[in-house]
Amino acid sequence: MALVHKLLNGTYILRKCLKPSVASCPFLGTRSADYCSSSLEKPAAAPGKASSQRKTEGNLEGHHQREVALDITSPEDKPEVSFDKAIKEEIKDHFRRLKNDIVNHWIGPEGRPLHEVLMEQAKVVWQFRGKEDLDKWIVTSDKAIGGRSEVFLKMGKSNRSALLYGTLSSEAPQDGESDRSGYCAMISKIPRGPFERKTFYDWSQFNTLYLRVRGDGRPWMVNIREDMDIIQRKDQMYSYFMFTRGGPYWQEVKIPFSKFFFSNRGRIRDAQYQLLLDKISSIGFTLADKVDGPFFLEIDFIGVFTDPAHTEEFAYENSPELSPRLFK
Amino acid sequence: MSWAQGILLARGLSRGWGGICSTALTGVPFSQGPPQAPRGLHCSTAAHNPDSSLVPRPPEPPRGPVKALAPHVELFRQAPDGVRDKASFVQAVQNFTQYNVHKRGHVDFIYLALRKMREYGVERDLAVYNLLLDIFPKEVFRPRNIFHSIFLHYPRQQECGIAVLEQMENHGVMPNKETEFLLIQIFGRKSHPMLKFVRMKLWFTRFKNIDPFPISRDLPQDPVDLASLALRHMEPDLSARVTVYQMPLSKDSRDATDPTEPHIIGIQSPDQQAALAHHDPARPIFVEGPFSLWLRDKCVYYHILRADLLPPEEREVEEIPEEWNLYYPMQLDLAYGRSSWDDYEFNINEVEEGPVFAICMAGAHDQATLAKWIQGLQETNPALDRIPVVFRLSGSSGELLASSSGLEEPPLTPPEGQEEEENNQQRQQQSQS
Repeated sequence: MALVHKLLNGTYILRKCLKPSVASCPFLGTRSADYCSSSLEKPAAAPGKASSQRKTEGNLEGHHQREVALDITSPEDKPEVSFDKAIKEEIKDHFRRLKNDIVNHWIGPEGRPLHEVLMEQAKVVWQFRGKEDLDKWIVTSDKAIGGRSEVFLKMGKSNRSALLYGTLSSEAPQDGESDRSGYCAMISKIPRGPFERKTFYDWSQFNTLYLRVRGDGRPWMVNIREDMDIIQRKDQMYSYFMFTRGGPYWQEVKIPFSKFFFSNRGRIRDAQYQLLLDKISSIGFTLADKVDGPFFLEIDFIGVFTDPAHTEEFAYENSPELSPRLFK
Repeated sequence: MSWAQGILLARGLSRGWGGICSTALTGVPFSQGPPQAPRGLHCSTAAHNPDSSLVPRPPEPPRGPVKALAPHVELFRQAPDGVRDKASFVQAVQNFTQYNVHKRGHVDFIYLALRKMREYGVERDLAVYNLLLDIFPKEVFRPRNIFHSIFLHYPRQQECGIAVLEQMENHGVMPNKETEFLLIQIFGRKSHPMLKFVRMKLWFTRFKNIDPFPISRDLPQDPVDLASLALRHMEPDLSARVTVYQMPLSKDSRDATDPTEPHIIGIQSPDQQAALAHHDPARPIFVEGPFSLWLRDKCVYYHILRADLLPPEEREVEEIPEEWNLYYPMQLDLAYGRSSWDDYEFNINEVEEGPVFAICMAGAHDQATLAKWIQGLQETNPALDRIPVVFRLSGSSGELLASSSGLEEPPLTPPEGQEEEENNQQRQQQSQS
């Protein structure tokens, strides 16, 4: 991560390094590399608190380093990190992953033997059993456009589930052009391979999305984004609704992929086509039900499976009135 | 003579200036002007200036920001004792059409009316939306030749029509044939509002019944009815019984959330009753809460009675011998698998939690009320006398409590029959969020 960061955002580190003195630059630079890498994609898992903690910690260490440089350096205060070492480890890690990737290709897709992958009928894609599972998700709310909703993500009961909670506020931001607001979203990060190459999920043999959740009665929207490598399709997504029951019991939500409708830039389009499952990039949950107040959603795991009873290909027909070009 | 001519000239010029300024500010056709514009030379209010100068007066300042931003606001202003409901809204709309035969500024009026709908409580009334669409002059905005239809004909009016339909969509109002006829009359069949109407018809009908747990829009106002609806909504077991343990004092002038006598309603299914009867008295059971539940736009709070999960070694699996019932099988293995290699199980251990024995909703969230609930439960579950009950109540936050052992001190096992309250450290954690 440090390597990539250095290559892509060299100026960011320079900006951080310019502030303290040159002597403590390598130390502070390493610190900044550490939390710059995780802040590349805007984590809001513990907003404000954790990042400011890290920053103050870095600053304190930097000051300490400067003071200590004048006096005797106590070995326990200065951990053995150096920027070059971090880069070397990063490079080694990436090459190891690349080697694993190539070797796995001989064994089968994603390193599992082919017969196992073909016969698989239920697969767990995301589970929440530890803190590192939370790092795979990004949490956003309409604070990005100036609204007042807040949303946080943390581990739930005894580290066995994830809890997404916060407050929704549909007060419109005072920027003169939006008159509606109020949304919170949790989006999964795009899967990355060696050297931060974008990979994708291949769910072409499954036909239903399975979620084990416990909500508070609010309706959520599940959005799936496809891999947009070739063409600039970053605003398109497929969505459907997930209705939570509320209550103390866990709820199993099964959404067949044929029910997802297509939308571009937030608007449902007239020409609908089914969701193709071979290049899925990310999945997300959005709450925007125009009701102000606190909310929570506990997620146990997210999986995909094949429902043999579901034979529908696509749930929505195109109508000649709305999309005449499809019927010429 | 020259004095009178001077006055006339000054008045005329000031009227002209005022008219032009108001046009520039409100974007409304010049001839409309402020309604109190001088009608003739007799009643000009602003031009009453004693000094008679031939120099044209500087333009009048706009009459307050309300005037400049929202024409026709005075149509919605009413006597302080007037009640804001559908009748007065309809009256205001009719006033507009009455006093304004040529319907000048109808676009602004419709935008204003859309904003005011929420105050008058008519945002879900289809008849009112049709009335608003009726304000548009008919047949004027329909494209008549190919040049009209290539370009967006009367763009402001089409945007206004779309805004009306969009507010209908936001509030979930389904348009009907009258709306369709009005839109065809006003904008024509190929216009954008008509397209939006077709889309609304299509997608609303598609998504009308996708909620597997539907709740009607008009929720009961009585807290007891609301609580029983919510409890039935949460409990998937249909054989569960709702019991009212305490009714609120409804006869007094005080409202039903009176602290001395709040309502207490509980639900319990026969399976939960049996599980509670089998519960080991050496292990305490916990009253947890309050947790939030949203019904449409109302938030209610509930408490649950649950026990901790038994460690795996103490869990016993009840074996029902096959000959117990000869008429039908007691255990059915209805698996999906059609052959031996079908496996639809997920390769993960699901989160397991202790069994829930009962759920309740009460007007107050303190221990005394919940103790009354437990006493009421004891009538149907006599085993509750011997099981210690621990109250784990947090401040009213929306999350389910995290009962991980690292974060709170373990509950002390009290002597049998006594109840103990325990303040959870989660309260501090939740107050941070």
